[in-house]
Amino acid sequence: MTENARSIPAPLRAVWDVLTSLKLTIVCLAGLMVLVMACTLAQVNLGTWGAVAAYMRPWIVWWHLPASTIVLPVFPGGALIGAVLMVNLALTGLRYLEPKRRKYGLMLVHAGLVIFFVGEFISAIYQVDTRLAVEIGQTVNFVESPRENELTITDVSDPASDEVFGLPEQLLARADTIAVTGTPLTIKVRRYFQNAELTNRAPSDPPSMATIGVGTQVTVKELPPVSNDDHQNTVTAYVEPVAGGVSYGTWLVSNVLGSPQSFTHEGRTYTLAMKPRRWYLPYSVTLKEFRHEVYPGTDIPKNFASLVQLRDPGAKQDREVLIYMNQPLRYAGRTFYQASFGKQDTLSILQVVENPGWLMPYIACGLVTLGLLVHFGIALRRALRKRAALTEATT
Amino acid sequence: MNLATLQSKRFPTLEKWAPWAAVAAVVIGLVVVTRPPAAREGFDLDGFGRVTILEGGRVKPIDSLARNSLLMTNGKQSVILRDDAGKFVRFVPATEWLADTLFRPEVADKYPAFYIDDEDVLGVLGLAHNKDRAAYTFNQILPRIQEVERQGEMAQAVDPKARTRFQGAMANLYQRVITYYRLKNSVQLEGAPGLAMEVGATADPMAAQRRQRLAGMATFRIVPPGPGKPETAWRNTGEALGDAAMGQQNPGLASLARISAAWAGRDAATFNAAVADLRAFAGQAAPTATGQADHEIIFNRVEPFYLGMILYVAAMLLVFVSWLAQPVLLQRVATALLASGAVIHTLGLLSRIILQGRPPVTNLYSSAVFVGWGAVIVGLIMERMYRRGWGTATAAAAGFASLIVAHHLTGDGDTMEMMRAVLDSNFWLGTHVVTIVIGYSGVFLAGAIAIAYTLRKHFAPTLDEATTKMLVGMTYGVVAFALFFSFIGTVLGGIWADQSWGRFWGWDPKENGALLIVLWNAIILHARWAGLARDRGIMAMAIFGNVICAFSWFGVNMLGVGLHAYGFMDKAFWSLAAFSASQVALMLLCLAPRKFWRGSGADPGTPARAKA
Repeated sequence: MTENARSIPAPLRAVWDVLTSLKLTIVCLAGLMVLVMACTLAQVNLGTWGAVAAYMRPWIVWWHLPASTIVLPVFPGGALIGAVLMVNLALTGLRYLEPKRRKYGLMLVHAGLVIFFVGEFISAIYQVDTRLAVEIGQTVNFVESPRENELTITDVSDPASDEVFGLPEQLLARADTIAVTGTPLTIKVRRYFQNAELTNRAPSDPPSMATIGVGTQVTVKELPPVSNDDHQNTVTAYVEPVAGGVSYGTWLVSNVLGSPQSFTHEGRTYTLAMKPRRWYLPYSVTLKEFRHEVYPGTDIPKNFASLVQLRDPGAKQDREVLIYMNQPLRYAGRTFYQASFGKQDTLSILQVVENPGWLMPYIACGLVTLGLLVHFGIALRRALRKRAALTEATT
Repeated sequence: MNLATLQSKRFPTLEKWAPWAAVAAVVIGLVVVTRPPAAREGFDLDGFGRVTILEGGRVKPIDSLARNSLLMTNGKQSVILRDDAGKFVRFVPATEWLADTLFRPEVADKYPAFYIDDEDVLGVLGLAHNKDRAAYTFNQILPRIQEVERQGEMAQAVDPKARTRFQGAMANLYQRVITYYRLKNSVQLEGAPGLAMEVGATADPMAAQRRQRLAGMATFRIVPPGPGKPETAWRNTGEALGDAAMGQQNPGLASLARISAAWAGRDAATFNAAVADLRAFAGQAAPTATGQADHEIIFNRVEPFYLGMILYVAAMLLVFVSWLAQPVLLQRVATALLASGAVIHTLGLLSRIILQGRPPVTNLYSSAVFVGWGAVIVGLIMERMYRRGWGTATAAAAGFASLIVAHHLTGDGDTMEMMRAVLDSNFWLGTHVVTIVIGYSGVFLAGAIAIAYTLRKHFAPTLDEATTKMLVGMTYGVVAFALFFSFIGTVLGGIWADQSWGRFWGWDPKENGALLIVLWNAIILHARWAGLARDRGIMAMAIFGNVICAFSWFGVNMLGVGLHAYGFMDKAFWSLAAFSASQVALMLLCLAPRKFWRGSGADPGTPARAKA
């Protein structure tokens, strides 16, 4: 017990004692083990992303009582345990680890672990995963979300260049009426489905909500959303564009409908489509060559490589980059990894990650490794000295 | 100086020379197993085994193909031939079995080379279950071959995870039959007049069709690259015949035709000369790729991990006996055996590293081999520090157990397979994977010492405090070692993931498994520091480490999800469950109150010591 602990009032000291106890550390570690185990087993049904969203990211793990709408809190979530453990680590460090030489190693370890947790929180909050699919010869200046979709309204009146406006999926889920800034249009969201099944309308089906376009021939059945990594939601909505007090009818939009549908307002033609959410980049990537190497005499892949031309006029960059296995391109805060391919090796899919905290695990890992080496080094030296003293005493 | 010491100077005592005698025995054993097989009826089987082929992405001696194929169909690297009365006649070595399969399939069909022990599968085949030797010939399967195909196709359509035991066994048999059938049709089509005729009849209108069929059937490429071709341009016989039809003659093809005809015609002299020709040509056409073939042959013959397993189990048994009688002598011999086992194990690992050009751990099989190695080395160091046989016994047990596991993971054929694209990084395989696996070794070794502690408490007649203290100290040290390596390994894995997939941590099952090990070791150490667990508690926790580690090593692979699904396995679920149950039982034994112990001495690890 240190001096500063005695100078604080009793109830606060009790809290201080709990927060700095090694018991709390052990409870948190054990709780984390339970969560990690649950998260691992749940991946069989939920997929990695779904399991992480259910166990590791939330503050509380909820359990949906079967055949009811009741949701019960059953266990602290990964975020809560992580936060408590982080506080515990930092405070225990303050309380027990007086700056003595033999504690230097442990202090480094604990400092590193705190940085680890901070880094994981930053990743959880700020990391954005997108992808960039590019065919040989094609130039692409946007990345797309692998999961989220958006309603795009594209002004195609100018043959030279399109103007694209995107309304993210979450906005459609929340809002009834959305004004599309930059256009005279307002979008009324009649109905939104996170996941649905679309079938050709049979004569016996109830009339479609759509009054115009391909949607009038389609029946929509709502489905529970999927989170499995192998499945995609069929995001679907009925929307009604309104401009200058005129309604342009109710349209069905969905990410499984192929061709965009269009209408004309005051001489300008707009198309409506539900597509993966896009972010435009101030630079572009052209795929010049894609290589898919196999081991001789087998079809075991040896390497995938994309040779791309990176053009960023603003930053005066125009260079060739070879992206291959374990060799990503890091540029302007984003990292491009070779992830997949398709269309008989003419399409390359790059995974794109934006994570402002990417460096923190590296720092943390360096600190912890150094700390463990120092600590066990000191312990080993002590043990050896003891042994030497013991043998001296016995002989 | 008295007479006794004088005598011991002149004649080293039994305790001094016995360990060296054990080492000498191991060396003699090594020399015996590495000698080449005797020529049979004058045929140079040793030379034939050294013929190189390209299979599974790398050039290897045909001896490796023979052993791996036979291991797959028969579960062992040779065929046991018996007469009709069931009396043992002789062992057929893998190379001879392969030569017959390739060149005299009608003879190979009569070898009992299919291991089948599933009652229901035998029922489908209409065969009686033979408990002593569950090996059957292809001719015994042949009458029901269409049913095997039908059942096999049905079973293979089911997801491996959802197959019943029967479906699993049926799909497996079907796969083995296909492998055997393709082998028989890899050099020449079964029932066709033979390779020599094909070489002479490339212009025959039906020949093109036969060539195409051959090229599609072949499981390996035996014809070395033709003149002026790159070293990787090996051809199978069908392709080489196609080249010949286009006017590109390949001297390797002609030699192979002579080998085939000579084996079938029982002409040893021609066979031996043609084998020498083919090997000489391969050596010229692909000098770097064929250079390792002889080394691999020695590796195949020694079976270092099998030999190591035998030595470890012998060492372990000797230590057990030593606690009853002759402690010094037997413990020294045991340590000598363990050390020779460790040397052979190490040489085996080095051979794999050289042959594959990769770090020691590349797949589940090699991880098991390496875990055992790590445990044995750390155990030897422990023995050096503490003596008294505990280090030897636990190291031998851990080494033996992990080599047994490795032995059961070999069934899928070549254990030196090519690394899929993202894993094709020697740097990360060498750092992340190796450190993680050293962490596994540590966890298992700590668990083994804790088990030894438990058993000693229950079975040893007396408990001296010093030994108890020593065992606890060893466990603590090994847990700290395991925490260090599993933490570093996990973090290195995160860095690799950041380099290749763009995220440091993705909660992938294998990553989670590694994290569980780190967390559990951290809990053990903190529980000790906080005084929450005394010796017995720490020991029980160390035993539970075995369960956590086994789950992380194999259990997560059974889920079949995630980016580390390269090591998918479905058969081992019950083994894993049984292992976990046994460990929990040992934990309960460990935690059992004092009155259940046999030993009467004071145990310093329990509150009962307060009387002291």
